[in-house]
Amino acid sequence: MLRSRLFLAVLVGMLIIAVVAGCGSQPAAKEPAGQEKKGQTTAEEYPNRPIQLIVSYAAGGGTDVGARLLTPYLEKKLGQPVTVVNITGGGGWVGWTQLAHAKPDGYTIGYINIPNMIIGYLDPAMKRKENLESFAPIANHVLDYTVFAVRKDSRFKNIDELIDYAKEHPGELSATSTGVGSDEHISLLEIERKTGAKFQMVQTKGFAECLTQVLGGHVDVLLGNVGEVVGPARNGDIRVLAVMSEERSEYLPDVPTLKEKGIDVISFAARGIAAPAGVPQEIIDKLAEAIQEAIENPEHKKKMEELGLALKYMHGEEYQNFLKAQEQRIRDLMGW
Amino acid sequence: MELTLLQVIKHVFSFQCLIAMAIGVVGGIVVGALPGLTATMGVALLVPVTFGMDPAAGILMLMAIYTSAIYGGSMSAILLHTPGTPASAATAIDGYALTQQGQAGTAIRVSTYSSMVGGLISSFFLLLLAPPLSMISLKFGPPEYFLLALFGLSVISSLTSGSLVKGLISAVFGLLLGTIGVDVNTGFPRFTFGITSLESGVSLVPAMIGLFSLSQVFIMSETAREEKHREANAIRDWRFFPSLSEIKALKNTVLRSSIIGVIIGMLPGAGGDIASWVGYNEAKRFSKHPEKFGHGAIEGVAGPEAANNAVTGGALIPLFTLGIPGSATAAVLLGGLMIHGLIPGRELFTKYAEITYTAMVGFIFANIFIGIAGMLLARYVTYVTRVPARVLAPSIVALCVIGSFAIGNNMFDVWTMVFFGGVGYLMRKYGFHPAPVVLGLILGPMAELGFRQSLLLAKGSIVSYYLSRPISVVLLVLIVASLISPVILERRMQAKANA
Repeated sequence: MLRSRLFLAVLVGMLIIAVVAGCGSQPAAKEPAGQEKKGQTTAEEYPNRPIQLIVSYAAGGGTDVGARLLTPYLEKKLGQPVTVVNITGGGGWVGWTQLAHAKPDGYTIGYINIPNMIIGYLDPAMKRKENLESFAPIANHVLDYTVFAVRKDSRFKNIDELIDYAKEHPGELSATSTGVGSDEHISLLEIERKTGAKFQMVQTKGFAECLTQVLGGHVDVLLGNVGEVVGPARNGDIRVLAVMSEERSEYLPDVPTLKEKGIDVISFAARGIAAPAGVPQEIIDKLAEAIQEAIENPEHKKKMEELGLALKYMHGEEYQNFLKAQEQRIRDLMGW
Repeated sequence: MELTLLQVIKHVFSFQCLIAMAIGVVGGIVVGALPGLTATMGVALLVPVTFGMDPAAGILMLMAIYTSAIYGGSMSAILLHTPGTPASAATAIDGYALTQQGQAGTAIRVSTYSSMVGGLISSFFLLLLAPPLSMISLKFGPPEYFLLALFGLSVISSLTSGSLVKGLISAVFGLLLGTIGVDVNTGFPRFTFGITSLESGVSLVPAMIGLFSLSQVFIMSETAREEKHREANAIRDWRFFPSLSEIKALKNTVLRSSIIGVIIGMLPGAGGDIASWVGYNEAKRFSKHPEKFGHGAIEGVAGPEAANNAVTGGALIPLFTLGIPGSATAAVLLGGLMIHGLIPGRELFTKYAEITYTAMVGFIFANIFIGIAGMLLARYVTYVTRVPARVLAPSIVALCVIGSFAIGNNMFDVWTMVFFGGVGYLMRKYGFHPAPVVLGLILGPMAELGFRQSLLLAKGSIVSYYLSRPISVVLLVLIVASLISPVILERRMQAKANA
C-alpha cells in the first residue's frame, strides 16, 4: 500500500514534469484571454507582458537557432520575456496560419521564411486564404545566400564550366534542392531561364540529405545556403563554385558571385519577423527598433558569424518593398 | 598538440562532466519514458542550457540524453504498452507480453542490459571507426534507401504472430496513410482535404501514441474490474545482474542487433524507429523458437533494444565527421555543436580534439551509467504495473494529450492521437496488431522518396541503374532471401516431418 502511494506520488511528479516540458514554451499563448478584459494595451505601455515568438520549424533547425540567439537581446531591450514557440507542420504553414490569425496586439509575432512562405500562399494548388496582406512585416533578420557547390573531386573547377556543360548536355547533370518552393528550387529555375542550361532537379527533405547525396556522388551539384556550406567547404569536402549575391560573401571571399559571371540571379533564404496584420504602427516600430538593436549587438553578431549567417536588417518600407519584389519574382518564375 | 588518453579521462571525470552526464542520463530516462516527449525533444529542450557550459560537458549531456531517452522509452513500452519514443514501439510487443505474464522484472533487465551493450558497442564504433564508417554511410543513395525501406517492410511477416493477411492489411493501411501530405517532387498536396497540418503528412509520434498508448488505455479500462490479477504482477523476478543462462541465450541477438543499429544509425535517412524493427525481425529469424515471439520472448526485447541504442552512436558518426546528422535527434545535436562554435569535420578531431574525444569517451561512460541507473530505477518503476487502472488510465491519457501537443504545439496533433487511439482500439479488438501501421507510416514515405529520386537519377533503365550499384544488389539479395527463406524452411520442416 505504501509502495503504491509512493508510486502515485512519482506518477504525479512525472505528470508535472510533462506539463512543464510540454507547455513551458506556451504560457504566452494562453494569456490573452485573461488580459483581454483589462482593455487594450496602448502603444506606450507596450510591452507589459511576455511576447510569444512563433518559429514555424522544429527546435534545433536553422530558423530556431537564429531565433534563440536573438531573443535574449530582444528581451533586454523590451523588458519582457520573449518566448520562442515552435509550431511545426505543413512545411511551416501551421505556424504561419496561426501567426496570421493571432490577435493583432503585438504579443504574438513570428518568423517568416522567404521564399518558402510566399510560394506557400501563391501556389494555387494549396488554395490558401492568407497572403502577404495577412502579415505586418516588422524587420528582416538573416539573409542567407544560395550557393552552387560540387564535391571536391568533381571535374567542374569553376561555375563557367558547369553552366556550359549543362547547356550542352541539358538535363544530364543532377542538382539538389531542399524542396518544392525552396530558394534552391526557384534559383535553379531562374538560372535555367536566364542561361538556357538544364539540370535534373532532385527534391529532398532538407539540406542534410542534399549534402549526403552530393558527397556520396549520387547527385552532381549541390545547392544550399552559405550558412550550410561554410563548414563542409572549410573541411575541403566540397568546392563552392558561386554565390548568388550582389557582392561576394564575407564567409567565402574567394568564391565569385553569379553576377560577376554575367548571370544576374540573386537568391537567398531570408528570415524576418512579422506580426499579424492590424497591429498598431507604433508597436511595429517599437519592435523593429528592438530587433535592430539586437542585430547590431556585437555578441549576437559574433555568434551569427560563427554559424556563417549573414545579418541583414531591413524594416518599414524597405522590408515591404523587398517582400513585394520577391513575390513578383516568384510569380514570374512559377507562372502564377 | 599531444592529447593523451589520461587527459581525456581526467576531463571526463571532471565535476562538470560528471554532473552533466548524471543530469543527461536521469533526465533522458524520464523524458524518454513519457509518451510524446521524444529523445529529439529532450535534446532540443536542453540545447539552450548548454550555452553557458563547458562545451565538452554540454555536448556530453546532450549525447547522454539522446541515448538514455531511447532507453527510457522502452520502460513504458514494456510496462504499459505505451512506447515513450517511436524507437521503442517494437519493444512493446514482447516486452508487454512478458509484463502480462508477471515477468516485468525480467523484461526490464533484458532491456536495460541490451540497451547498455548496444549503446556501448556503438560508442566504441564512434570513438574508433568514425571516419571510415562515415564514408560507407555516404554510399547509400536514393536506390539504397528505397531498398532498405522494402527490406524493413519485409519485417511485417514476423510481426504477425496471428494472421498474415491481417498483418498485411494493417501494413497497407499504414502505407496508404503515408501517402498523405505534400508530394515531395511536385509540391502537390495529396489527400490533405485543405487541412494545413496534413501537408507534412500524418505526424508519426501522435499516431503512434494513439495506436499504442491510448488504445491500451481503452483496453485497460475494459478489464479495470478484474483488478485482482494485477496484484499477481509482483516483480518476484527482480535481480540486479542478468543470469548466466540469459547472457548465453541473448548474446548473439544483442551483438547482431548492435551491429544492425550502428549501420542503420549512421545512415542519415534512417534512424532508431527503423533499426528497432529490423533488430526485432532478425532476432526472430535467428531464434530457435520463433513461435514464442509475440508471446513474451526475451529475444524479442533484446533485439530491438540493443538496436535502437546502438543507433545513437551510429547516428553521431556522420555528424561528427561530416556534419550530416544520422537521425532527427542528431540534427538537433548539430545545432548544439554549432552554438559552441564546433563545426563538424576535421577540426573537431584536430583543433577541438580534446572536446570531441572527451565527449566520445564520456559517451562510453554515459552508456554504463544508463545500465546502472536503469537497474536502480527498475526496481521501483515496475510497481507501475500494480497501480490500479482507475489511476493509471487517466494518467496515461493526460500524458498522451500533453505529449502529442508538445511535439509541435499544435492541437491538430492531439486530435490525430485521439483518432488513432480509436482506430488502434478497434484494430486490436478485431485481431489486427497496430505495429504494421506504424511501420508502414515510417517506411512508406521513405520508400517513395527513394524510388522517385532514383527514377530521376537513373537516366535510362531503372533496372540497370539498381543493378550497377553494389549495395543495391546486396540489399536486393537480402530482400529476396528474407522473403523466400521462411518458405524454404517450412518445406524442409515438412520434409523432415514426413521422413
